[in-house]
Amino acid sequence: MLRFLIRRVLGAAVILLVISAVTFFLFYAIPADPARLACGKVCPPETLEQARRNLGIDQPLLVQFVSWLSGIFVGRDYEGLGNCPAPCLGFSFVNKAPVFETIMDRMPVTIALTLGAAVIFLIFGVATGIVAALRQGKPLDKIASVSSLIGASVQIYFVGTLAMYFFVYQTQVFHQPKYVPITEDPLGWFNGLLLPWLVLAIIFTANYTRITRSTMVENLNEDSVRTARAKGMRERSVVLRFALRGTLTPIVTIFGVDLGTLIGGAIITETTFGLQGIGRLAVRAVDYSDLPTLMATVLLAAAAIVVMNVVVDSLYAVIDPRVRLS
Amino acid sequence: MFLEVNDLTVDFHTEDGVVHAVDGLSFEVERGSTLGIVGESGSGKSVTNLAVLGLHNPETSKISGSIKLDGKELLGASRSTMERLRGNEIAMIFQDPLTSLSPFHSIGAQIAEVYRKHKGASKSAAWDRAIEMLDRVGIPQPKVRVDHYPHQFSGGMRQRAMIAMALVCDPGLLIADEPTTALDVTVQAQILDLLRDLQEQSGSAIILVTHDLGVVASTAHDVLVMYAGRAVERGTMREVLREPRHPYTWGLLGSMPSLAHPVDVPLRPVRGTPPSLINVPPGCPFHPRCDYMELLGREVCTGERPELSPHRGHGDACYLPLKQKAEIRARAAGKETT
Amino acid sequence: MNHRTRSVLAVLAAASLALVGACAPGNQGAPSAAPSSGETAAPPQAEYKVPVISLGTAEDSVGPAIEPEGVVKGGTVTMIDRDDFAHLDPAQIYTNTEANFSLLIHRGLTGYKRVAEGEYKLVGDLATDAGTVSDGGKTWTFTLKDGVKWQDGSPITSEDVKWSIERMFAPFITFGPAYIQQWLTEEDYRKAYEGPYDGKRLDAIETPDEKTVVFKFKTPHADANYAFAMAGYSIVPKDKDTKEKYDKEPVSSGPYMIKSHTVDKSMELERNPHWDPATDPIRGAYPDVWKLEFGQENLQITDRLVADNGPDQQAFTFYASVPPERLQQVLQDDSLAERRMISPSPYGNYYYFNLDRVKDIKIRQAINYAWPSKQIQQTMGGPAAAALPTTILNENTTVGYEAYDLYGKTEKPEGDIEKAKELLAESSDPNPTIVYAYNQTPVQEQITVVIKNALEKAGIKVVTKPLDRKTYYDSISQVENGFDLYWGGWGADWPSGSTVMPLIFGPVRDGGYNLTHLRDPELDAKMKEISENPDIDAANAAWMALDREVQEKHAPLVVAENRIGTWLRGSKIGGAEVDPQMWIISPNTIFVKP
Repeated sequence: MLRFLIRRVLGAAVILLVISAVTFFLFYAIPADPARLACGKVCPPETLEQARRNLGIDQPLLVQFVSWLSGIFVGRDYEGLGNCPAPCLGFSFVNKAPVFETIMDRMPVTIALTLGAAVIFLIFGVATGIVAALRQGKPLDKIASVSSLIGASVQIYFVGTLAMYFFVYQTQVFHQPKYVPITEDPLGWFNGLLLPWLVLAIIFTANYTRITRSTMVENLNEDSVRTARAKGMRERSVVLRFALRGTLTPIVTIFGVDLGTLIGGAIITETTFGLQGIGRLAVRAVDYSDLPTLMATVLLAAAAIVVMNVVVDSLYAVIDPRVRLS
Repeated sequence: MFLEVNDLTVDFHTEDGVVHAVDGLSFEVERGSTLGIVGESGSGKSVTNLAVLGLHNPETSKISGSIKLDGKELLGASRSTMERLRGNEIAMIFQDPLTSLSPFHSIGAQIAEVYRKHKGASKSAAWDRAIEMLDRVGIPQPKVRVDHYPHQFSGGMRQRAMIAMALVCDPGLLIADEPTTALDVTVQAQILDLLRDLQEQSGSAIILVTHDLGVVASTAHDVLVMYAGRAVERGTMREVLREPRHPYTWGLLGSMPSLAHPVDVPLRPVRGTPPSLINVPPGCPFHPRCDYMELLGREVCTGERPELSPHRGHGDACYLPLKQKAEIRARAAGKETT
Repeated sequence: MNHRTRSVLAVLAAASLALVGACAPGNQGAPSAAPSSGETAAPPQAEYKVPVISLGTAEDSVGPAIEPEGVVKGGTVTMIDRDDFAHLDPAQIYTNTEANFSLLIHRGLTGYKRVAEGEYKLVGDLATDAGTVSDGGKTWTFTLKDGVKWQDGSPITSEDVKWSIERMFAPFITFGPAYIQQWLTEEDYRKAYEGPYDGKRLDAIETPDEKTVVFKFKTPHADANYAFAMAGYSIVPKDKDTKEKYDKEPVSSGPYMIKSHTVDKSMELERNPHWDPATDPIRGAYPDVWKLEFGQENLQITDRLVADNGPDQQAFTFYASVPPERLQQVLQDDSLAERRMISPSPYGNYYYFNLDRVKDIKIRQAINYAWPSKQIQQTMGGPAAAALPTTILNENTTVGYEAYDLYGKTEKPEGDIEKAKELLAESSDPNPTIVYAYNQTPVQEQITVVIKNALEKAGIKVVTKPLDRKTYYDSISQVENGFDLYWGGWGADWPSGSTVMPLIFGPVRDGGYNLTHLRDPELDAKMKEISENPDIDAANAAWMALDREVQEKHAPLVVAENRIGTWLRGSKIGGAEVDPQMWIISPNTIFVKP
C-alpha cells in the first residue's frame, strides 16, 4: 500500500508540473498584454515598459517559470513588495495582493460550498436511486427518474436566479446568500450557504440517482444476491449489505471526480450567488490576464483532481477486496 | 415423505406472452435419499428449485399446486416463514460459486452470518462453526482460509465452501443446482463424493439437478427426467438406466459418451431444439423431436397430453406400449454391440 | 393613457432633451410619495439634465458642502458592488470606480462641487480656490486652506503636495494620470526624473512656504486646475509614504478612514476625526459609517435593490447599473420610478475610419448619412437605453458645449440612404467595400448585422471581421490593422476638449489613440494653439468649433450611439445622483434615512 501511494504521489507531482508549464506557456501565447492592464488610460510606451518590468514579465519565459516554481518551495524576494515566503505564488497583477493569501481566503468559501452540496447530493442522490431501484417500474421509480433528469438538465444560473427571486427577494424564505465564516457565526454560515447548496445539489443529484438505480437494479439480479436470499437473509439486509455494496465503486468514482472539479471552483454557482470563491477568482484571472493568480488557480484545480483520483483509487481497495494489491 | 411436490405449475408473465416453465410437476424426496432431476436447459428444473425456496418474484410469476416440506405447505407461506426456512431447513447450492458468493465479504463472514441469523449464535460461536464447516467439507487450513475472500479460492474449494455455507444449519433438504457444471472432471468427482458423505453423516435429503446423466448416475437414488416443464420419466436410478422407457431418455442416454461405447460409432444427440415454453407443442411436448411418432400416429401424440404412468414406481409419459419400448431398446443394444 | 405608457414617454422625453443638449428647466426630482393605485399620472422620475460645469470662485471653495434636500445626518449606509478597489494609492488611481471611492478618503488641490442637481463648479478642495494662473498660463499657484489635516492630526503642507506629484515619476507608479508630470518636464517624463526617493527633487514645483505651491509648466495650460481635480492627483503625506504598500494602506485626508478591509469581500469606513467639514465644499459625508460589500454581479445587485427588503433599503450601488436583461422591467415598473436614476455615457464613442485605407471623403460622408442610428438604438434597448449624439465632444464632459448635427441624425435617425447614394455616385467608387471589425460580444453581433444591412442598401459592401474581446483594442490600435471601420471610445479626463482632441488626433503609432490615422499638420497646429491658449473660455469655444471643423473637413469617423445607464437605490437612501462626468453614483451627497 505504501509503495502504491508513493508511486501515485510522484506521478501526481509530474502531472502538476506538466500542467503548470503548459498553462504558463499557453498564457504567453495569448496576444493580450497584461502590462497594458497595469498601465493607465494614457499609456506612453515607456510607462508600458516600466509596467512590464514591474510585473516581471520582461524576463525570458523560462526564467520566469523557474522563478515561479522555485518560489513555491523556497519563497521569493520582490522589489518593493518585500519578501514572499514559501509557498510563494506571487502577487496578483490586478491588485498586488499576495496570491497565496488570496487563495487561502477564498478556499473556505469553495470548500464549504463543495462539502455542503456534496453531502446533500450524495445522500439524496443515492437514496433516491435506491428507492427507484427497489420500486422499479412503479410510479415512484418514474417520478424519481424524471425529476432527476429535469434536475440534470437545468442550468444553475437559471435555477439559481429564479430561486433567489422567489425564495430570497419575494418571500424571504431563505436568507441572502453570503459567506460567513463558520467560526464567526455557525448559524449564519449555514443560512448563507443553504440556498447555493440546494441549487448546486439539484444539478449533481441526477447523476447519482441514475448510477445508483441502474447499478442497484443490476446487482439485485446478481447471483450473489440470489444466494443471500436463498440463505434466508432478510430482504432489507440483502439490499443494503449485498446489492448496495456493489454500487459503491461507481458512486465513489463519480464522487471523486465531482469533488475534485468542485474544489477547483464552482464558477457559475459562485457568480449567481455572489460568493467569492476560487471559481470567480479563476475567471477574473483569465479576464485580466493575471498570470500569478491564473497559475495558482489552475494548479489548485489540477491538484484537487489528481488528489481525488489517488484517494478514489485507494478507496477502491477498501471497498472491493478483489482490487487489493497483495 | 420429506418433500412432496404435487401438480406444481409455474407461469411467468413476460412481454412476449405467458411462459409455461413448469406444468403439472409431481415428485417426492425421502430423507436420506438423493433425487436427481435431469433435463436440458429450459426443461424447468431450476425453476422448480427456486419455487421450492420461494424465490420467484411474486409479481411476475404465478405458482400453483402444492409443495409440502415435512407436511408444511410452502406455497403461499408468509415471507417471514420462508426466510426462516431458507438456509435453515432448506438450503441451496448454485452452479457458479464465484458469482454466487459475495465478493465483498470473507467466506467466514458469509457462512457465519447464516448461522447467526437462524441459530441466534454469538459472533465468536458462529465464527468457530464456520471454521468447523470448512474443515468438514475438506478445506485445508480452515482457520486461515476462513478470512479469505471467494476470489482467493480455487474453483473446487469455492464449491466446497458454498456447500459448507449451505450445510451450516444442518438443513433437512439440500438442493444442488448444477453443482459440478463449472468444475473440471476430477473435481466433479470429489464434490459428488463429498455430498454423498455428508448425506450419510446427516441424513438430509438431496435434490441434485443437472443436465448430465453421468453425474446423476453415480450419486442419485432416484431420478426424474424433465422435458418442457414436465416430468417424462421417473424411477430409481437402476430402473431408469437399465430400462429407460421414454424416447427423450433414450436420446439422453444415446447422446452420452461412455467407456463401454464403441469408439467408431458416432454419438447421437437428440435432434431438434427445445420447444418454446410460450407455445408448447400440443399433446406430448416431445413429439416434434421424437423418432417414434409414426409408430403411434400423429393424432395420438398431439392429442391428449400423456401423464406419468404408472403413478408410482417406474413411470413414463409416453403412449408407446411397454412391449414396443422393450423392442426398441433391444434393437438399440444390438446395434451397439455389432 | 396608462401608467406604463406615461413613464415610457417621460423617459423618452428626458432622452430627447439630452439629445438636443438643451438645459431643461426640469424636475428637481420625484415627489416622495408613492403613487396610489387609482391615480392616472405616474410620478415622473428625475429627468436627465445635461450638466452645467463652470469655474467657481474662492467663496464657492469655502466649506461646508451644500446640503441636498431632506438631508439626514448619521446612520450606516451600505454600498454593494462587484469589484473591490484594486488601488487605493492616488497615484495609481485611474478607473472611475476607484476615483469615485477616493472621494471618501482622499482630497486634492481642486475638485467638483455640486451646487444643485446638474450644476457643478470647479472649486478649491484643499486649496483656497481653483488656483491662480500667471505667466501666460505656464505658472499655477495654489494656497492650502487652514485646518486641513491628515487622519493622525498632522497638518497637510505644501511639501506633501510637492511630494505627491514627484512620487508619480517613480518606476512603481504606472497606473495613474500622466498630464501634470508631462507638463512639468516633457512628453517622455520618466526619462527626465525618476522620483524623489533617491533624494533628487523636482525644481519645477516650488514650495515658498508651508501653504503655497507653485507649478511651473513648460508650455501654457489654461485648464491645469481641472487636471488637478483628477483623483490621481490627490495628496499623499510625505512622512507616511510607504511606497508600494501605500496602495493597500493609504492615509486619509478625507471625511472617512478605512476601519477594516477584507480584499474582494468587504470594507468598512469610519469617520476621520480630523476632517473638518468647514474646509470641505465638496463632500457632505452625512452617514457615520460606510459598509461596502463586494462580490455580487450587476444582475443580483439589481434584483436586491428592486426587492428592497429589510436592510437593503439602506443600500445602494456606486457602479452596478441595471443590466440589459432587467432594463425593460425596471424602466416600466412605476413603483421604481422614485428610486431610478439615469445618465447617458460621458464617453465619446466613435466608429473610426482608417484614413490610410478609406481615402475618399465622399465615401466617409456617405456612410455617415446612411448610418442606421435608430435601428442600432433599438438593438441596444431603445431610446431609454441609448442616446444618439452627433458631436465628437460629449455634452456631459465639455464646458462650453454647443450642439450641431452635420448629417441630419436628429431628423432622420434611421439614416438617409438617398443622400448616401448621391454622395457615392460622386465619389471614386459608387460601390465600395468596407472591412468592418467588431468586438465579438452578443450585442455587437446584432449591431453588426444592422450596420451591414443599412450600408448595403446604399450599395456599400460590408465585410465583417469579428475580433476577440481580449485582444480587440490591441488589434485595432495597430497602424497596419487591415480594417476600414471599427468602433472605439475615448473619455475626457476633465471637461475640456484638450483631453480628447489632441489624443484621438494625436501621434499615429502602434498602440496609440489616434485610430483614424488622421495626419493633418494644420489640425496639429490648431490643436497646439488652442491647448496653449491661456484664456480658458476662448479655448473651450475653440475646441467646440474645431470639433465641427474636423467633421466637416475630414469626416474621419461616425459618432456612435451612447448607452444610457440606469441605476437603482434602496428606498431609504437619499441624495443619490449619477456623477455625469464619471458615470457613477457619487458619494458626496449620499445620506441614509432611519
